[in-house]
Amino acid sequence: MTIASDDPRVAAAAAPPPAPPPGPPVRRRRRLTRNRWGYAYVAPFFVLFACFSLYPFLYTAWISLHEVRLSDIDGAEFVGLGNYSALLQNEFFWNAARNTLTIGVLSTVPQLAMALGLAHLLNYKLRGRTFYRVAMLMPYATSIAAATLVFAQLFGHDYGLINTLLEAVGFDRVDWESGTWTSQFAISVIVIWRWTGYNALIYLAAMQAIPGDLYEAATLDGASRWQQFLHVTIPALKPTILFTIVVSTIGAVQLFGEPLLFSGNGMTSGGVSNQYQTLGLLMYDQGWTNFHLGQAAATAWAMFLIILVVVGGYALLARRRARAER
Amino acid sequence: MTVPPRRRVALGAALVATLMAAGCGGSGSDDGTITLDLGLFGTFGFEEAGLYDEYMELHPEIRIEEESVERSADYYRALQTRLAAGSGLADIQGIEIGFVADVAANHADAFVDFAARDNADEVLGHYYDWKVEGATTSDGRVVGLGTDAGPEAMCFRRDLFEQAGLPTDREQLAQLWSTWDGYLELGRQYDASPTKPEGSAFLDSPASVFSAAVYQGQTAYDDEDGNPIPESSDGVATAWQHASAAAGEGMTANLIQFGDEWNSAFANGAFATISCPAWMLGYITGQAGDEGEGVWDVAPLPGGAGNWGGSWLGVTESSEHQEEAIALVEWLTAPEQQVRMFTEEAHFPSSQQAAEDPAVATATSDYFSGAPVGQIFGESAAALRFTPIGPYDTQIQEAFTNALSTVAEGTSPDDAFQAALDEIDQVVGG
Amino acid sequence: MTTLASAPEETVSAAAPVAPPRRRRGRGGKVTAAGPLTYVLLGLTALVSVFPLYWTAVAASKTNAELAGTPPPFLPDADLFTNIGRAMEEAPIGLAIVNSVVVASCITVGTVLCSTLAGFAFAKLRFRGNGALLALVIGTMMVPTQLAIIPLFILIAELQWVDHLQAVVLPTLVSAFGVFFMRQFLSQALPDELLEAARVDGASTLRTFWSVVVPVARPAMAVLAMLTFLTAWNDFFWPIIALTTDNPTVQVALAGLGGGYVPDTAVIMAGTLIGTLPVLVVFVVLGKQIVGGIMQGAVKG
Repeated sequence: MTIASDDPRVAAAAAPPPAPPPGPPVRRRRRLTRNRWGYAYVAPFFVLFACFSLYPFLYTAWISLHEVRLSDIDGAEFVGLGNYSALLQNEFFWNAARNTLTIGVLSTVPQLAMALGLAHLLNYKLRGRTFYRVAMLMPYATSIAAATLVFAQLFGHDYGLINTLLEAVGFDRVDWESGTWTSQFAISVIVIWRWTGYNALIYLAAMQAIPGDLYEAATLDGASRWQQFLHVTIPALKPTILFTIVVSTIGAVQLFGEPLLFSGNGMTSGGVSNQYQTLGLLMYDQGWTNFHLGQAAATAWAMFLIILVVVGGYALLARRRARAER
Repeated sequence: MTVPPRRRVALGAALVATLMAAGCGGSGSDDGTITLDLGLFGTFGFEEAGLYDEYMELHPEIRIEEESVERSADYYRALQTRLAAGSGLADIQGIEIGFVADVAANHADAFVDFAARDNADEVLGHYYDWKVEGATTSDGRVVGLGTDAGPEAMCFRRDLFEQAGLPTDREQLAQLWSTWDGYLELGRQYDASPTKPEGSAFLDSPASVFSAAVYQGQTAYDDEDGNPIPESSDGVATAWQHASAAAGEGMTANLIQFGDEWNSAFANGAFATISCPAWMLGYITGQAGDEGEGVWDVAPLPGGAGNWGGSWLGVTESSEHQEEAIALVEWLTAPEQQVRMFTEEAHFPSSQQAAEDPAVATATSDYFSGAPVGQIFGESAAALRFTPIGPYDTQIQEAFTNALSTVAEGTSPDDAFQAALDEIDQVVGG
Repeated sequence: MTTLASAPEETVSAAAPVAPPRRRRGRGGKVTAAGPLTYVLLGLTALVSVFPLYWTAVAASKTNAELAGTPPPFLPDADLFTNIGRAMEEAPIGLAIVNSVVVASCITVGTVLCSTLAGFAFAKLRFRGNGALLALVIGTMMVPTQLAIIPLFILIAELQWVDHLQAVVLPTLVSAFGVFFMRQFLSQALPDELLEAARVDGASTLRTFWSVVVPVARPAMAVLAMLTFLTAWNDFFWPIIALTTDNPTVQVALAGLGGGYVPDTAVIMAGTLIGTLPVLVVFVVLGKQIVGGIMQGAVKG
């Protein structure tokens, strides 16, 4: 489970020539890094963590082994792995898993690519840069109520702006909500809208920590802006990019708010034929609409396992690539 | 000047602590007054009707505080959590028809039993029987006193009917659509009319037919014990037959009720009829705006009486001021106050005595073309029988209405019905 | 907020003598000026991003029927202020804003502090079990939180915290995201030699943290603060269970707006609008912080 980057290129970015004198630093590093102070630094976080995260999560795990209704928690009945085996045979689970995958790919890839580009633009010398930075985060600051109103109207079949435009250029009106692909596309648009600025700002913070002399050296070597972006910026951002990929993947698997708000009337079924029900929404549906906590907990832990496999896959890939490059 | 780091951490911690302390102060004064908390969701309207102020004037020692959440789903989630934890309940909690069966079946002991009180005959006697039965547990406890009810009628657009060449007289229509078959026949005429406004549909959604007709059977979604019987219920079977016909023949606008497009459609004349509980009149007024005045009208519901919606007020056993809370609930739900809730907030009474009061029974609505709404809804309420309800009715209904939407999109009714049953299996949990 | 923000600056100057020869931080943003295409692209993005907020103002001044008209209205009118007044009457929005400022500030300060400390330790210090602990942190990000609210509420109820703000602050303070974010940032941005130099000069670990780590971490801390503040401000799911409209945060108060069988969209939107304004203030303040962080690096470099 190492997300740690032992990437040589990052090391190079952090420690450019002139190289530190050989010998002493190695010794010193060892002294610095073997450090019991580590526990003191992580303690504040872990104290809170143990109370307010670990305990509820373990409780969720325990719940997932029971047949239990929200209205009667004390009447829980132990069923072992019954909820999990039921889940594997549940067509709603597989449907939600498929939807989660397609929406996840449709939203995450463009989102991160655009965020990277935006961060690059924001990093130029800009007039009124605070304005642009603040503006990028507005979607994230917009309340769900306002976002719901806007997107339900934009994607409306009869009165929606998007359909009006489509019609104006000679296309047919699209029933965004009821189609499988169209609804998943529309939800991806909401996700991209909501999170691109967020990721752009994270990239921007990391870009600002890239030493300026790296660019100077690259300019001296005659590298174009694009080459600088490719060969200086991206490699130096690697830990941050990895971070956003992991976080976006987790977010995509847990996606819940956007499909919920897309229906516009608060239904948790993800469309009349569950065409955009995601795993997160399914879990919410099971737990808070249908009150089957045991099932919902099992879905939650299944989501955990899926993320674990995907993120583990990333880590493995990253390590293998790093090794190959060494 | 540099503050030593260690002290700076302490300063930060102190700041956090102070801010927190500042935030949780103010727990209330001790001058002999009793504060009663009401936990409600959006639809009650006591405050707007001025009932709290009046009660506090009558009882200066009482202070009423209302905590209201607009969406009942949010409210119910919080109430469920608090009931599960056995803590954090208000003195008085609102209970909607969608979850009264769950409360009666699983949380009756968290609420005061109104049937066991000395004045039970008096406070329960003025209600319609079906209203009291809705909040009665299998062993005869009554978990709350009824506030409003949702007797149903059929709302229609006079202007669209006229353009399509259909009759607009509400009594004539009542005759023509005394049954759902008659209603669907009018729908076919409307659809076939060459003069109807282009793009307008006869009704808003198949859900309009289904959710009204399902409660007209002997059973709706549940048997007497509150167990779901979606496959064998006569109410479901007939409601599905009529609604899937409407959906399959394309006479609905196939809008999702309470969705955004549905809201917009009221003002845009996208459909000509909608089954409307008493409270829907307010909804239509709000959505259609001033331009809808005199355009809409109300006639009795096809197929007999029906009810959609309505609530109760329960007093929690955990309340520290139970007697005072009970007195307040009894006052708020008494016939006189129910009459006022109708005249000021258009909430139809669940008290038969209140519904028969001339102020309610003879009421007409200018917005709805002078329709005798008091009479129409009163007759519907008087004709209602109690249909067994269960904890999953809302979800089961949504499964059926979702499936009906897919019928309107071209799925065969049989496949859609099977999909609804699958969804219900998932809802009820095997 | 202020103590945290101004602290690093003083420390930096105090620590300057012990700091190693600095490389210039901060990128060629100062070197390369943006071209017109950049402005066009950013302008478009800004427009798309801000539009819903603008639309909120339009919706806050129209009835449901007016909003549904064709073509839809595009300008807010004077009813906006009437509706804002009604929203303020219907819900204790003043109290809610104060509460939200307290809650979101506490969460932000606490999260940034805890995350920077822990992120630094995970990035640069080796101690037994650090890999396992980091995996645990990242692992918790993967478990969906909606279910955790039942045990959490039982816990809060035992502590008698229902309807008190700490019921929202403390559970929300735990941000695995923050720890992971700071760890990834610092592992890239904080060169080991900086730490070495501080060490050689005999600085204590804590002093090293304040005088070396925090200044480097500053842009990331500002970004984390901004994101945390926003998340806390818009959080709804847990607060509406832990609090009531007696002592609400903004989102809890807004949830009580526009009641009745007919939700009054205009009033809800008017409330949403005033509920968003404080966020804009925070934006401007923290936005400057991020810009300030770069400028400082450039001057000192």
